[in-house]
Amino acid sequence: MDILLQQLLNGLSIASVITLIAVGVTLIFGLTGIINFAHGEFLMVGSIVTWLAVSNGIAFPLALILGVLAVALMGFVLERIIFRFTLERPTNGFIVSLGLIVVLQHIVILFWNANQKSIPRPLTTVWEIGGVRIASVRVMVILMTIAVVAMTYVMITRSRYGRALRASVEDRDTAALMGIPVRRYITGVFVLGSALAGLAGGLLIALFPITPFTGGTMVMKGFAVALIGGLGNLSGAVAAGLILGIVEGLSAGYGFSEWTDAYSFGLMILVLLFRPHGLFGGTSGPKMA
Amino acid sequence: MIKSVSSLRSLAPVLIVLLLLALVPLFSPSNRFLSLAISAGINIIALYGLSVLFGQTGILSMGHTALVGVGAYTAALLARDFDIGFWVSIPVAGIMAAIVAAIIGIPSLRVSGHHFVIMTFAFGQLMTIILTNGGDYTGGASGLDMGKPVTMFGADLDALPRFYLLVVAFVTISAVASWAIINSSYGRTLRAIRENEKLAAALGINVGRHKIGAFIVSGVFAGVSGVLLAYFLRHISPGQFASFPSIYLALMVMIGGARLLLGPLAGGILVSFLPEVLNLDPVQSRILYGVCLIAVILFLPNGLIAGIADGWTWLAKMSKRTPAAGNVPEAGR
Repeated sequence: MDILLQQLLNGLSIASVITLIAVGVTLIFGLTGIINFAHGEFLMVGSIVTWLAVSNGIAFPLALILGVLAVALMGFVLERIIFRFTLERPTNGFIVSLGLIVVLQHIVILFWNANQKSIPRPLTTVWEIGGVRIASVRVMVILMTIAVVAMTYVMITRSRYGRALRASVEDRDTAALMGIPVRRYITGVFVLGSALAGLAGGLLIALFPITPFTGGTMVMKGFAVALIGGLGNLSGAVAAGLILGIVEGLSAGYGFSEWTDAYSFGLMILVLLFRPHGLFGGTSGPKMA
Repeated sequence: MIKSVSSLRSLAPVLIVLLLLALVPLFSPSNRFLSLAISAGINIIALYGLSVLFGQTGILSMGHTALVGVGAYTAALLARDFDIGFWVSIPVAGIMAAIVAAIIGIPSLRVSGHHFVIMTFAFGQLMTIILTNGGDYTGGASGLDMGKPVTMFGADLDALPRFYLLVVAFVTISAVASWAIINSSYGRTLRAIRENEKLAAALGINVGRHKIGAFIVSGVFAGVSGVLLAYFLRHISPGQFASFPSIYLALMVMIGGARLLLGPLAGGILVSFLPEVLNLDPVQSRILYGVCLIAVILFLPNGLIAGIADGWTWLAKMSKRTPAAGNVPEAGR
């Protein structure tokens, strides 16, 4: 039982990072129809920036913010110079993102080599409650994710901007006719999604050492979660992230850890087969005129 | 099936290029050159499969290297457990890869568009996990060794120049096979699906079945290329066949142009030899590949060769004062 709770907590902290990715993926897809496979590399860049900052003596919270800002800026630049031109043909956007994966991975390798990178744990306290060892750093990751995802959710469902955003997802042209600057919203959502990936990266390196190739597995799990929840469906992504975290935690607890990576893919394949729009229903992307 | 002159004209340049490439060993090239050329050739065989799938049918698969892996593991296991050699492995691996393609394709093609790409990606990753966790049978993470040489009429084909000629022969077969598919009524059906799926369905084409068919056909090419890979590398491991290497295959086919018969050949050769020509290390060359891919998609969506051909027709038309850039005739694609 103790081991079980322990693994559950571990599973949930990793699932937090994956959920942050999935939320970004789902938002970007919902509005633009672009499947940005390089989203995992955005996370990896976030980790690298945090790592660089911490190695240069900057405190972790500040380093995390730097990571978020750097990736948000990168998202802005890439949207302006590349993804903006693929809006009419989302398949091209997907292929371009494959190219970006290769470019970002190898630029990082070029400057900072391909070795594992880690930072000292920002929080070292470990609480022991009834035989369960709770690492405060994992709790921090989970709490931060809950806070950020809740903020995003409120912004999208409650605020004026959120309503305009949802209107643009529903019908880009009509929204534009109503005076919503749809193009600017697209850029905005891309930057928001990138910032979330940057945050996920910073939190991930607080938990585990990373390599320039970490983005690949993380993005696949992020996509798995986004697809299981239904692409474009924010609360679906959160629920699916929770499910995956519990499943991975349980399986590690019962000694099937070498198959951990297979669950997200297997689950995703099953869900897509029987409910192609995800467990909680998603959009099929923006409606093209 | 009447072969028109124009369809033969699209095959001729490919055959001429391959004939010239077959003469290369006469100039006693270095071993390094031959190894590069052999791995390029093995990729090109898989690329011809991908070009049928992506170029003709318009479906992109990220599980193509996984199918290459099926071929390679089939060859390695046949050689280890049954002492079966190269020539029997080729058809068996082709069939195995086709079966796996069907297993992946039938469920994956029920979902459309983007979802399909992600499904194939997930299947590719799953396969790597299964091969890694396969224990002694698949050799685990360290993979399998290939102990048998390639022989033909009792002669050993393992020396690099001979193996090179073998690969050129297989590239020729796949180019001709791909050409035959493109110019058959089956190829026209696939193109109809690519251009307008709903219209094709309305005309009575069974879209789902033909898509799966195209996926299976592409799997056969991948399986054959896998056998050659196993016999060339002599050692295979699961990591080589994960989904990410598929990106490089997609990249080669895009850079060359998926719809032209010359495309896979050009893409495979360019991507393999560009770093050598420009004297780049692997990291730099991969950055260059990525940038090339992005540039090609943004500026030349039909690939380099089609871009050059388009530019040529455009120039020709300009000189005749006809407005608007032209397209390369569809028959050549």
